[in-house]
Amino acid sequence: MKWPIAPAVRKPGLLNLVPVLVVAIGLVLLFPVRSEAYAGPGAGFAVLSSFWTLFVAFLYSVYAFLTWPFRHVLRLLRRRKAYGKAQVTRAIILGFDGMDPELADRFMQEGKLSHLAKLRDQGTFLPLRTTCPAISPVAWSTFQTGVNPGKHNIYDFLARDLSSYLPFLSSAQIRGPKRRLRIGEYSVPLGKPEIKGLRRGTPFWHWLGKAGIFCSVIRVPVTFPPEKFPGVLLSGMCVPDLKGSQGTFCFCTTRGAGDKFREGGVRIPIERHGSVFRSYIPGPEDPLATNSGSGLRVDFELRADLRRNQARIEVDSQKFTLKIREYSEWIPVKFKAGLGFTARGICRFYVKQLSPEVEVYVTPVNIDPGRPDLPISHPVTYSIYLAKLFGPYATLGLAEDTWALNEEVLDDQAFLAQCYANHEDRERMLFDALDKTPQGLCVCVFDTTDRVQHMFWRYLEDDHPAARKVPRDQRPSVIEDLYRRMDDLIGRVMDQIDDKTLLLAVSDHGFKSFTRCVNLNAWLHQNGYLALNSGKSESGDWFQDVDWSRTLAYTMGLNGLYLNLKGREREGIVEPGPESETLKNELRTKLNGLVDPASGGIGITGVFDCDAVFAGPYVDNAPDLIVGYGAGFRASWDSVTGRVTTQLFEDNTKAWSGDHCIDPRLVPGVLFCNRKIAEEKPAIVDVAPTILKLFGLGLPTYFDGKPWTVAPEPSK
Amino acid sequence: MKLPMIASVIAMRWFSVVALRLPLINSPVMLVIAVSLVVGLLMVLVFRAVSDQKAIRAAKDQLKAHLLAVRLFQDQLTVVMQSYGRILRGTARYIRLAFKPLLLVILPITLLIVQLDRYLGWMPLQHAQPFLVRVRAVSPDALNEVSLELPREMALSAPAVHLPADSEVVWRVVAEINGTYNINVAAAGETFSKQVVVSQDLARISPTRRRDRFWERLFTSGEPALPTNGPIQSIEVAYPPRNIDLVIFESNWIIVFFVLSILAGFVFKSILGIEI
Repeated sequence: MKWPIAPAVRKPGLLNLVPVLVVAIGLVLLFPVRSEAYAGPGAGFAVLSSFWTLFVAFLYSVYAFLTWPFRHVLRLLRRRKAYGKAQVTRAIILGFDGMDPELADRFMQEGKLSHLAKLRDQGTFLPLRTTCPAISPVAWSTFQTGVNPGKHNIYDFLARDLSSYLPFLSSAQIRGPKRRLRIGEYSVPLGKPEIKGLRRGTPFWHWLGKAGIFCSVIRVPVTFPPEKFPGVLLSGMCVPDLKGSQGTFCFCTTRGAGDKFREGGVRIPIERHGSVFRSYIPGPEDPLATNSGSGLRVDFELRADLRRNQARIEVDSQKFTLKIREYSEWIPVKFKAGLGFTARGICRFYVKQLSPEVEVYVTPVNIDPGRPDLPISHPVTYSIYLAKLFGPYATLGLAEDTWALNEEVLDDQAFLAQCYANHEDRERMLFDALDKTPQGLCVCVFDTTDRVQHMFWRYLEDDHPAARKVPRDQRPSVIEDLYRRMDDLIGRVMDQIDDKTLLLAVSDHGFKSFTRCVNLNAWLHQNGYLALNSGKSESGDWFQDVDWSRTLAYTMGLNGLYLNLKGREREGIVEPGPESETLKNELRTKLNGLVDPASGGIGITGVFDCDAVFAGPYVDNAPDLIVGYGAGFRASWDSVTGRVTTQLFEDNTKAWSGDHCIDPRLVPGVLFCNRKIAEEKPAIVDVAPTILKLFGLGLPTYFDGKPWTVAPEPSK
Repeated sequence: MKLPMIASVIAMRWFSVVALRLPLINSPVMLVIAVSLVVGLLMVLVFRAVSDQKAIRAAKDQLKAHLLAVRLFQDQLTVVMQSYGRILRGTARYIRLAFKPLLLVILPITLLIVQLDRYLGWMPLQHAQPFLVRVRAVSPDALNEVSLELPREMALSAPAVHLPADSEVVWRVVAEINGTYNINVAAAGETFSKQVVVSQDLARISPTRRRDRFWERLFTSGEPALPTNGPIQSIEVAYPPRNIDLVIFESNWIIVFFVLSILAGFVFKSILGIEI
């Protein structure tokens, strides 16, 4: 699917007169006299601009040439350890978030994935055991650090604040500068925002880098904030948008205010002034504001041309024309705060309709990779390099706007166009990284597989509640097409590698249908483990109206179940020790095998005691129990946000129709390799030690994974 | 094509009619600065109008990317060498993109500078200061018939010197009073006039009047051409060249203009968001 971008504006045919002018100027130059100086400033600009570039390039080259021998010697000394015992000179790891082994196998059997089938036949294809819980940030953190969550501290997208029972992002914390200077109506920040990574452990590319092995790492989840190491890295999942959220889209409309979006979006009114429609894009909080809540904004104007089904949009002195149901290119926007403070971002516009109402969707405002206000790469210049080379690209961790499709702001086609545009950008980055990494490690993670399966699983099944509106014969084969595209990508990568290159294609987890929602908070409430304030039968988000003084256990996030532990939670009542152990066992026993009376399916197939599953210095931050939902089930949308409802089971009618946050045993990932791997049950935790071993490095003793035995050469 | 031409015509008119009437701009230094600023602005506006801004931006971005690649992947010599090759190719592409609008800009700017050079290239003669009038005939034989007729305010300060080898005759003349005069050169029964400016102020100066050589006349003469079949090839008045005094150094106005207009252009392009 091609991304429908605005047509390029053609310059008028002024340049047709160029030949005449060439002759005229040639004549001038033939009779120089004083005309050598008359080249004038125009020539000066061109000469200076190009000369400056050449001059800088020349200086760099001289520097590179002169210092190369010394650096080469140093590198050789460092590399001697690694490449001396290395079985490979280059390793390429392609991460396909959520690629499912059963689907891959099925499509291979049907002859639809020829390149993956070739890898299977000549090398390896196995299910890859995922982490507990099977959630992307958890699994990719384990992938990169080679340890269990107890050692890297990531258990979900969200963690809870023990003093308030409120959630916070588990991977990174961004705080404003500590000191501020009050000047009149302004509160001027003194210093930079503090960005703190919460993932612990050391990614394996750090060990490789220290050994002098160059690494290019692109969009691996939970790599924000980027850490220093000898290589290049572009951060992936968990990079915030300019507002600091994980993606807040903006839906501008002339319609009267409707329901609020539950997740990820804001509705902004469009006002009509004659033939002009005016609205705005909400931005980050004003850094100079003395009180929180005053956000910056960028205004835009829209002029509708109904005859041509298009709109002229003007934002920040940029003007562009968009057809209905067409995305703009990435548009840079500046949020001005005063005193010269500016936040820069990029976003895309999508005109949904112009009549009878005007509706414009604007993507979350991404951090501008060409001028990042927050570091999104290491070194900082790497994101700038990619932006200069390929143009602006999505930097938001969850760049594909699943919420907008869930809320029916975008339709299937618009969502897919967004996904594949991001995917194409990522492919370009990958192939550039391959070009720039002739030796060493190249890792690139593609999110499209995860997002598309989440949103289009409904079309794989005959009777998915989220697909009932669409007649069966009109359901597109989106997921099959997705796997074909990934197969094609693998084929193009295989064309570029030699026998000394190891190619791994892995996924962090697989996928299953998500047809039924389980509100575990409702179950806890109905079974006396969670209490509401008197007179309440339901709670609001984040445990509003929960009576903590009578609550024994609660759940938030996707799989974690927490005891309201005394001395840990602010209003904890469960005594640590035998009482908590007894409660855990009781909950495990009751929840395990929970049956959905409507479908007869088993809603929960396993409840895991975190004390038994995790080990490491950060176990105290883990939930007490991990709930493994059965195939077809998942935590309900309300349960994830800490809401207690009356209904325990309900249909999932959202476009988000496939999921993996269930019993990890049901959703292994995939492992493809161009070499034979002698391992029956490989796990994602083994990837890091395996790569270190293949490059001839020793393994840190704290690793939980075990290196695989990999054949020294690809099979022919 | 209309926009740059119209802009340059307006600019020329502005300089010749308005700017030179302003007392402040009667100073050569101020005039050069003012001209440089205005030309710098016009240049970038015209450049924006006639260039493919998107393509130029893309070409520059690619160049920057390859420069960054040299730095980012400096330990890998093959990557550095590849990037350097791409920088060379990218520079060629950039110059190609900048060349077309450059051609469109150069012509009106050249015409403008020619006009300005009349005012800033030479200083007017001073009264009581001798100067040379040099007449070149079509052949040495014609020299004997050439004579110089001066207005009352001027006088010869030395006899004429004939240079048959160069087909030239030279007079040394001195002017008594400031003013704009016509001196006449008589030859073969015809009379040819040449303007002479004696002044303390900034004035429009034409150092030579000549026949043929259209392009050379364009750059050096501000007077009508001499008849093509006449006996005289050129009449030159030796005006002293003008240097612009910039306190710390003196320089030809074109060099000062070149530097200042580029600086102004870079400032204006940043303000106006124009890719150059």
